[in-house]
Amino acid sequence: MPDEVRRRDRLIGLFLLALVLLNPPLLMLFGGGDTVFGLPLLYLYIFVAWLLIIGAVAWIAERRAARRRRDADG
Amino acid sequence: MVAGWFIILIAAGYIGLLFAIAYYGDKRADQGRSLINSSAVYALSIAVYCTSWTFYGSVGRASQSGIAFLPIYLGPTLVFCLGWLLLRKILRVSKANRITTIADFIGSRYGKNAALAGLVAIIAVIGVVPYIALQLKAVSTSFTVLLHYPAVGGIADAGPDSYFHDTAFWAALCLAAFAILFGTRTIEASEHHQGLVAAIAFESMVKLIAFLAAGIFVVVVLFDGFGDLFQRAAADPAITRLLRFEATGGGFSWITLTLLAMAAIICLPRQFQVIVVENVNERHLDRALWAFPLYLFLINIFVLPIALAGRLTAPAGVDPDTIVLTLPMAAQQYSLALFVFVGGFSAGTGMVIVETVALSTMVSNDLVMPLLLRWRRLGLADWPELAPFLLKVRRMAIPFLLLLGYLYMRLVGESYALVAIGLVSFAAVAQFFPAILLGLFWRRASTAAAFVAIGGGFLLWTYTLLLPSLAGSGWLPIAFIEEGPYGIALLKPYALFGLTGLDPITHSLFWTMLINIGALVGISLLTEQSALERAQAALFVDALEQAEAGRLWRGTAKLSDLTDLVARFLGRGRADEAFRDYAGRRGVDVAELAVDGELVRHAERLLAGAIGTASARVMIASVAEEEPLGIDEVMRILDETSQVIEYSRRLEDKSRELETATGELRAANDRLKQLDRLKDDFVSTVSHELRTPLTSIRSFSEILHNNPDLDPDKRREFLAIVVKESERLTRLINQMLDLSKIESGKPDWAVSDVDLAEVARDAAAATSQLFEDKSARLDLRLPESAPPVAADRDRLMQVTVNLLSNAVKFCPRVDGRVALTVVSDPTDVTLTVADNGPGIAPEHHQTVFEPFHQVGDTLTAKPQGTGLGLAICRMIVDHHGGRIWVESEAGKGAVFRVRLSRKVALARAV
Repeated sequence: MPDEVRRRDRLIGLFLLALVLLNPPLLMLFGGGDTVFGLPLLYLYIFVAWLLIIGAVAWIAERRAARRRRDADG
Repeated sequence: MVAGWFIILIAAGYIGLLFAIAYYGDKRADQGRSLINSSAVYALSIAVYCTSWTFYGSVGRASQSGIAFLPIYLGPTLVFCLGWLLLRKILRVSKANRITTIADFIGSRYGKNAALAGLVAIIAVIGVVPYIALQLKAVSTSFTVLLHYPAVGGIADAGPDSYFHDTAFWAALCLAAFAILFGTRTIEASEHHQGLVAAIAFESMVKLIAFLAAGIFVVVVLFDGFGDLFQRAAADPAITRLLRFEATGGGFSWITLTLLAMAAIICLPRQFQVIVVENVNERHLDRALWAFPLYLFLINIFVLPIALAGRLTAPAGVDPDTIVLTLPMAAQQYSLALFVFVGGFSAGTGMVIVETVALSTMVSNDLVMPLLLRWRRLGLADWPELAPFLLKVRRMAIPFLLLLGYLYMRLVGESYALVAIGLVSFAAVAQFFPAILLGLFWRRASTAAAFVAIGGGFLLWTYTLLLPSLAGSGWLPIAFIEEGPYGIALLKPYALFGLTGLDPITHSLFWTMLINIGALVGISLLTEQSALERAQAALFVDALEQAEAGRLWRGTAKLSDLTDLVARFLGRGRADEAFRDYAGRRGVDVAELAVDGELVRHAERLLAGAIGTASARVMIASVAEEEPLGIDEVMRILDETSQVIEYSRRLEDKSRELETATGELRAANDRLKQLDRLKDDFVSTVSHELRTPLTSIRSFSEILHNNPDLDPDKRREFLAIVVKESERLTRLINQMLDLSKIESGKPDWAVSDVDLAEVARDAAAATSQLFEDKSARLDLRLPESAPPVAADRDRLMQVTVNLLSNAVKFCPRVDGRVALTVVSDPTDVTLTVADNGPGIAPEHHQTVFEPFHQVGDTLTAKPQGTGLGLAICRMIVDHHGGRIWVESEAGKGAVFRVRLSRKVALARAV
């Protein structure tokens, strides 16, 4: 059960992080029209941040799924 | 010009494929080999979220305001971060209570209230119709655009003029047929529509691949990769502007859109349908938590590049919403354009199918059914079979809804962009969000509050978004927007109460949420909940903690009534099967089932799956005479319970007390036994001690008596022994008297301030003869005077003399030494007597102070004292509140110490 609580807290933490990353004012910071390697910084930033968040959710969710499968086998 | 029939053939072929997939899916399900029992299919079916809005509208919006299309997809990502908390809870609750629609969910949470569920259903229908219209419009527009191939520009407005030429109309008809066939197969709305879901998942694949194909074509073929595209975009200041955050309309709009999308992913009827109702296994949610956001990510990557490319290359006059389609057309890629058309078509059809199925369930279960039940007395109750009738209602609702959508499109939709229409729908269903969210986590949220919150929010939404959209299309005077109704500027729908500077959506969301959340929280805090409301609230809030809350139910019902009732809605076969299963799980025959709360609840749940929770409750109440569980009764039950708890706690206390008492008694008994043994020992020791001197006195007296002619020297020697033994006997008896006197606690203490140094000196003087006899040396290490202790001087003298005589007794014959010391510290005065005798082994340090205890074997060695001296010493010191102890090791002499407290010494003693 403490495992469940820890995972829940991690997901809540991730939600809060995503809330900050994907909203102004951080978007204003990156949305000034700069470019990186010829790509617009805003476009690059938001998609990279988005992908990282999806990756983190996947990591947390799949670890749980894997553990449950293991428990089911064992 | 491309032949219209060819495009229609493609579209028809695609719909035919959908029919085939759905048919195959249902067939597989009937065989028990489900197609949709996989987390991937589940995630793909959730992607029904991406509609024509995404496929065509996002690009249109991006070409005008940059990344402003993105919050619509970031919001669901955020919600899915919390999915394990939020969605899992909704899933659990819905499955446990067979909830089938969002209206049912809210109605059930708030006391199974039919009126509330009906209100939600009405709002959902009104709110979502524009959204359906949006899909039809997109289908029709894309068809028209494609029809004019290879002409690209200036055809957006060239809509068909006759209904028979209107593709949207025919598409709507086909979709209605599909939804009816695969979405209303059985009466149980809680059952999975396997074929439908399989088709939807397939559609999600098609639209994603089509959009990615268009994106890759634009970026790689039309341009030389991302770098080239963005470089060329950078050359045009008007386009560069799109790459800045300001282009999105500012932070407020961004946050508003994010919030709307967060609400929509849960509150949209079709999302509830695919996420909750069509969920086969709760574990599928685990993968969907990231797979669905990943889908959104992929389908959005090329939106901005395509929009920029459209701005760079498309001729003027092209509807921005059709850029995805016109770009391949302009490049003469006809087959790609057709594929993109199919992708957009799939995005639109998927949404329409699921949405109409979800809404038809809502209309039949939460609007038609409760109304008919009201009229039950007029005859509906006598219908033997209601299932076919209910199915008819649903099947009629689907074309009706599509017709509404079609009319809205014809009347209003033509003048609005896709995204603008969609956002109006989002804002409508967002009104459910606070009631759902608070309902899941806050027990006190009450029915009245939810009613006012949702109703008030909806009215304000109508005023600030729906009516202005009608005005914008010419159905209301435009002055309504610009000057306010009747010229009242404060009531201008886009600037209510003079609030300006926000875009219409943000403006509306602010006012509606103000009244919505305000009413929900405020009224909940001010009103009391009924017993049923409380029970339902607990069921929802504690869904993850407890398996199932047993609701209190008191009443009477007949088994046959229950089975007949369920059979009327589910059909006789399904009902019998359900009851057989239930009885089987309990290991009894159907006829032997006890009609208890559990069974009644089971029947109610069966009905809820078919006709919604509120109606199910009404129906059950018609056959089961439920005694209303008033608040008084609940309070009484609570009272009884708390009394029982109180009694049991008292019992526990009592038994604990008993245990303690028993323990004490046992200890006391042990102590008594020990004392008894000690007494026996004492008596035997005393008799032994008394007999020893008596024996010697008697034997010497007999010798003297029987031998009168004894030598005078001998006679004197014997007499001396008799005298000495008598003295010893006297001493022994005196000491025993002393001991018992002190032990009984009634000695005559003469308390005064005593100087221990002086006592020690006097005791040394009194025992000097003993030391001389034994030729032992006594070292006095005494201060002039010691701080006074309150004590009986004679008794302390007795203690000191005793210790000194003991010490000298055990001194070695040669070079015996005894040291007498008195030292004082701030709290105590300590008197020490140290000798250089044989010492005392540690195990005897306690026992030497017990009566008649002598170190060494008393049987072989002649006793050297009465064995009471130290016992008396300890008693005296104890009575003075002091402490006496010995420090010694065998062979190294013994040190006896007496410590007495200064001043307060006697306070404790008496």
